[in-house]
Amino acid sequence: MEIRKAIVTAAGKNQRTLPLQTLVDRDGIQKTALSIIIEEILRAGIEEICVVVSPGDQTAYRCAAGSHASRLQFVEQSSPLGYGHAIQCARDFSATEPFLLLVGDHLYLTHQAKGCAEQLTEMARAESCSVSAVQATHESKLPYYGTVGGRLVTGRQRLYQVEQVVEKPTPTEAEQKLIVPGLRAGHYLCFFGMHVLTPTVMEILTELVAESGEKGGVQLTTALKKMASREPYLALELQGRRYDIGVKYGLLIAQLALSLDGKDRDEVLTQMIDLLAVRK
Amino acid sequence: MPGKLIQIITATDPAIRNQSLDAFCRSASLDQLLAECAELETFRRTSENLYERVRALFFLYAIHRFHLPEKKGIGTRGQISFKAYSHLLQRRFEEAIEVFLTVQKNEGASDAISSALASAYYRLAIQTLADQVRRSVRSVRGNQWMFRMGHPADQPLRLRPELLQTGADGGYPILCERTPVRMDLTHSAWSDIFFLGMDFPEGANVLNVSINLGVKGRDAAPKPPIEAYLRAIEEPVLRLTSVDLGATADITSLNEVFDFAKDYLGLLKSAVIASGIVPPGIEGSGQNLSDLLARVVGPGRGLELVSNVNNIPKGSRLAVSTNLLAALISVCMRATRQAQSLEGALDESERRLVLARAILGEWLGGSGGGWQDSGGVWPGIKLIRGVSAESGDPESGVSRGRLMPQHTILDASVVSAEMREKLQNSLVLVHGGMAQNVGPILEMVTEKYLLRSEAEWQGRQEALGILEEILSALSAKDVQAVGKATTRNFHGPLQTIIPWASNSYTETLIDRVRAEFGESFWGFWMLGGMSGGGMGFIFAPDKKAAAQKRLQEIMSEAKRELESALPFAMDPVVYDFAINENGTFAELLAGEKAVLPAGYYALTVPQLLRLDPRNLSALRRAELDHFSAASRSKPELRGMMQVLFDRLLPKMQRDNSGEKALATLLDENGFDRAQHEQIRADLKDGRIGLAQNRLPQATTIEDVRDGDVLNASVLVATSKEFRAIGERAIANGEVAVVTLAAGIGSRWTQGAGAVKALHPFCKLADRHRTFIETHLAKSRRVSKQFGVVLPHVFTTSYLTHAPIESFLARLKNYHYSGPLVLSPGRAIGLRMIPMERDLRFAWEEMPQQLLDEQAQKVRASLHTALIDWAKQSGEASDYTDNLPGQCLHPVGHWYEIPNLLRNGVLLKLLKAQPQLKYLLLHNVDTLGANVDPALLGLHITQGGCLSFEMITRRIDDRGGGLARVNGNVRIVEGLAMPSEEAEFDLSYYNSMTTWIELDKLLEVFKLSRADLADEEKVSAAIRTLAARLPTYITLKEVKKRWGHGQEDVFPVAQFEKLWGDMSALPEVDCKFIIVPRLRGQQLKDQSQLDGWLRDGSAAHVESLCDWGG
Repeated sequence: MEIRKAIVTAAGKNQRTLPLQTLVDRDGIQKTALSIIIEEILRAGIEEICVVVSPGDQTAYRCAAGSHASRLQFVEQSSPLGYGHAIQCARDFSATEPFLLLVGDHLYLTHQAKGCAEQLTEMARAESCSVSAVQATHESKLPYYGTVGGRLVTGRQRLYQVEQVVEKPTPTEAEQKLIVPGLRAGHYLCFFGMHVLTPTVMEILTELVAESGEKGGVQLTTALKKMASREPYLALELQGRRYDIGVKYGLLIAQLALSLDGKDRDEVLTQMIDLLAVRK
Repeated sequence: MPGKLIQIITATDPAIRNQSLDAFCRSASLDQLLAECAELETFRRTSENLYERVRALFFLYAIHRFHLPEKKGIGTRGQISFKAYSHLLQRRFEEAIEVFLTVQKNEGASDAISSALASAYYRLAIQTLADQVRRSVRSVRGNQWMFRMGHPADQPLRLRPELLQTGADGGYPILCERTPVRMDLTHSAWSDIFFLGMDFPEGANVLNVSINLGVKGRDAAPKPPIEAYLRAIEEPVLRLTSVDLGATADITSLNEVFDFAKDYLGLLKSAVIASGIVPPGIEGSGQNLSDLLARVVGPGRGLELVSNVNNIPKGSRLAVSTNLLAALISVCMRATRQAQSLEGALDESERRLVLARAILGEWLGGSGGGWQDSGGVWPGIKLIRGVSAESGDPESGVSRGRLMPQHTILDASVVSAEMREKLQNSLVLVHGGMAQNVGPILEMVTEKYLLRSEAEWQGRQEALGILEEILSALSAKDVQAVGKATTRNFHGPLQTIIPWASNSYTETLIDRVRAEFGESFWGFWMLGGMSGGGMGFIFAPDKKAAAQKRLQEIMSEAKRELESALPFAMDPVVYDFAINENGTFAELLAGEKAVLPAGYYALTVPQLLRLDPRNLSALRRAELDHFSAASRSKPELRGMMQVLFDRLLPKMQRDNSGEKALATLLDENGFDRAQHEQIRADLKDGRIGLAQNRLPQATTIEDVRDGDVLNASVLVATSKEFRAIGERAIANGEVAVVTLAAGIGSRWTQGAGAVKALHPFCKLADRHRTFIETHLAKSRRVSKQFGVVLPHVFTTSYLTHAPIESFLARLKNYHYSGPLVLSPGRAIGLRMIPMERDLRFAWEEMPQQLLDEQAQKVRASLHTALIDWAKQSGEASDYTDNLPGQCLHPVGHWYEIPNLLRNGVLLKLLKAQPQLKYLLLHNVDTLGANVDPALLGLHITQGGCLSFEMITRRIDDRGGGLARVNGNVRIVEGLAMPSEEAEFDLSYYNSMTTWIELDKLLEVFKLSRADLADEEKVSAAIRTLAARLPTYITLKEVKKRWGHGQEDVFPVAQFEKLWGDMSALPEVDCKFIIVPRLRGQQLKDQSQLDGWLRDGSAAHVESLCDWGG
């Protein structure tokens, strides 16, 4: 399965300015979050990128993309009708091809030779089906994520056959429907904010958007759940971490993670120790 | 080859597996039984299967309790070590068993050690089963996470946004859950006990109907009686309100949430916990409730939860409290997105989850219903069946069945709409007014099931057949057949399994209804654990209206006749009911509709109105406005203004009738104010109290030696002389019987205030018999045998005199032909609020039975609340906050003999029968005591003033015994034991039965027969002797009834002087006779009845009786 396209969503009400924030990357170079995301996509061998933005945000984004600006296409989500609707806005871009999907307010970090997006696309190419990146997550974080239930693919590690998809389940529901053998007690496979999806998903999203009309509220998880009943759907536990820069201190933590993993590690550590030392 | 009993336990073939233990034991010898016990003991320690272990434990219990004591060659006397007893109290059952077995090995088997082993095995078995249920409850999927969650930051539940959308006045919407109660159409023969369902899933079958309810004459129409309300509030607290119990509280700390017995809000707290809002895992974490609420509802916000059961009385046998818990859990789960739908009905998986959580909630609150009890959550009529455990279930490999049953809703194709209508047109549901603790019944059922006692097992099979019969009758639209089947069930299997399911009140009602309605009375239908509370009567449809009216009258009349004999909690009521086809159902009330039940405002508005309006939050002010507007427009809030006025302004005139009655009673019954004040002063100063009851620590307490006692069995067997002497005395009219009946049997009915002597405690010779009737039947038999009439005296007190007098008058003295005299009390005390010191002594320093972990927490919380109550009410102040009768107390059985002297009863007896020389004195609950000629002969021959009858001690015989006290042989009351341990060295227990030689007793009082006419002299003599006897302070439990069948139990202090202390007076010549257990044992607690019936005691008593005509 050939994957040549990527969609980045950045139209959420509280999400619009996040990709525009500036951070210092592992090499000590100042970049916007958007640039870091684009580089993650490029490492996965994908060169056609579409960013879904709110009306009027295009210029700022183009500017934030810096040298990568010319690669980007923009699609506007005219009204906030749900995350699924935002993705569906890029249907003309993806056309009949599979695509990599990322959210604009997450940064990914891995110690592996291959980036997170690269690990995911490699698996999707090999398995020729939709694959969602997942991470074992403690049940206390369930209110924030879509969650999948399933079982390990025989003979494989970290690769799961998805049987259930629930958006932000309660732990009660999770315990009844989403327990995955092999995970630690109280842990579930939650979405990582990164998926490779087949055109079927876009079709289903289109149906859902049509059904909901002005009411909106179209969720990706609803489409994924439907898709799981139509074609093979896998989840891959990635070797890496995600940083949500949209939550309180999210940007700071993401920055610390980048710095402590890069060339300025000693300098940042020294500054932190200094801060702690002068604290009364 | 394993032992025969192990083969029964491990057999896969039901024919062998279901064999009865009794059948085997009857023919086995002592040695065979001991050998089987040894094998069972090894087996139960090594078996990995839970039910094999539990069944082995019950076998061991039954062998030691019922079979070994009957075998030839077993010893009677044996010492139960205090160490082992302490192990038992601390629930260290294995250690206790080990010690008892070592004693048995070293000293041989004995009645005493077998009683101890029976107790230990029984409690270990029940504990093992309870542990398994607890483990299963925790391991149900959907419940597990709540036990892992220990920090507010980990709380994953969030309130639904719909509940945070404020209205125009800033108020939040209210989520209201309305839930029916459940009615058990078949009576399941208690097959819904968890233990049974989990071991015998194929036998756990229940037909359960959800119904709306109304009290006839009070409510306009039946409606779902249970309502639970939830809304967000602008304060970081949990505001809990129980409208029916009139309790409301703002909970601000996590510890308070887990403090179940502190107030009347335990059920609401259980629901908050079991629904995961305050998950059980967070208990004891030291975290803040406000932080937790901030995660769920938002910073600075909290939740309000309100329950209302529309005044449906407690004890209705309709599982009101379990369904209320389920409704509260459901509303909490919907609000936190644990159910898909915010409004409307629940789907099947959600209902099952509510059931699992309700089971958890009941366990948390220290109670436990059956698995059918949450039936109101489901709609209409459903069949609930046990389910076999399969691989993947948490129960798999542990128990045969799952914790959770399967519910199948029976639709119109099975039970037609026409049949539903017919059922409603024929059934009259009532609450008879009795409220009893069904806990012991459930343990009995479990035990009998595991023992496969022949008759009971047969009964269980028969009950299963009746269920199928009722199902067919429902399909065939035949209500009459339903009535026949439920009646047969009640008279047959149910009473075979548990004779105590029925009582004389219920049978009186059935007889009277049958007599009045004849063929139109189609059947009786027992609901739930015991009869007397919620019950059903089925009539021809054209008679239903008349039957409803008449049943109310019949029940009220029967209650009036029996209310001093049986524990009634309330006046009987007749219900209107309708089948509820929705099950639990929710509605979001927003805007003008967002109104809580009227009772809520009656409870909370007066408090708000008393506050300075400036201190009220904007939301509270808006709520008052809202309520004010609603009370003008909503019919259900009509009349609220009057209610509020009544609550706001204290009544001008206090109702003084109760106080007057108390003062009058005190005057009339010889209350000694000076003595009372002296006792109060002594109590306050610490001169008397529980700790001061004890003999000094330096006292030597030793067991008696062989020569100190007379062994009646040996002596009577070796000489016929005693019997002949006794027979002559009886024939000569020298004997009278005195039965002590002044007490109300606090333990017997847990402080309910019923007269124990009048309690129809058991069916003997096919009828319920009272204690009085049984004692008279024994005297009748002896009288007939010797051609005399034994005078029989019942001593009474202010509490028991009038009820006994009118009861005997109504029943014409049970046609007893001899003199039957009541000896009214001449002394009375006024109960006091206990001292904190004494409560702490009783609860903290005396060895206490440790309870199951959760129940222990509940008890600790209750004790704290009661200590606070004592402090706030004023320690050692008069206890007057109850019915007058509940505030007074008899002053100990010592006074009952002097009363005979003072009240002229003895004088009258002697005038009529001057040859009278001997009295047989015994407690009302010593049913085996009679005028036995051989024992009388022994007493006469020995020439003592008092001959006390003693029995060998069993583990349950607590309360002192026969001892050498500093070298002198005497009876020591349990209260006076210098230490707990001392009692365990004593081999003999005081049965209280005493043979008295009258003239010698009068000498002790320094009186003669002639002096009895001189009231002043007699009174002075009694006062002088009384002063030489110790005064004990005791704590008694007293019930206070309120609301609709609600009861609270308070500990109160009172004083007593006890008869056994006569043996400590040096001038009283006392003898101590060892008598057989069947003669000397007492019935103190209703939970003893079943064993008493099964171990031959009842048959023995029957053999002593002549019931007359």
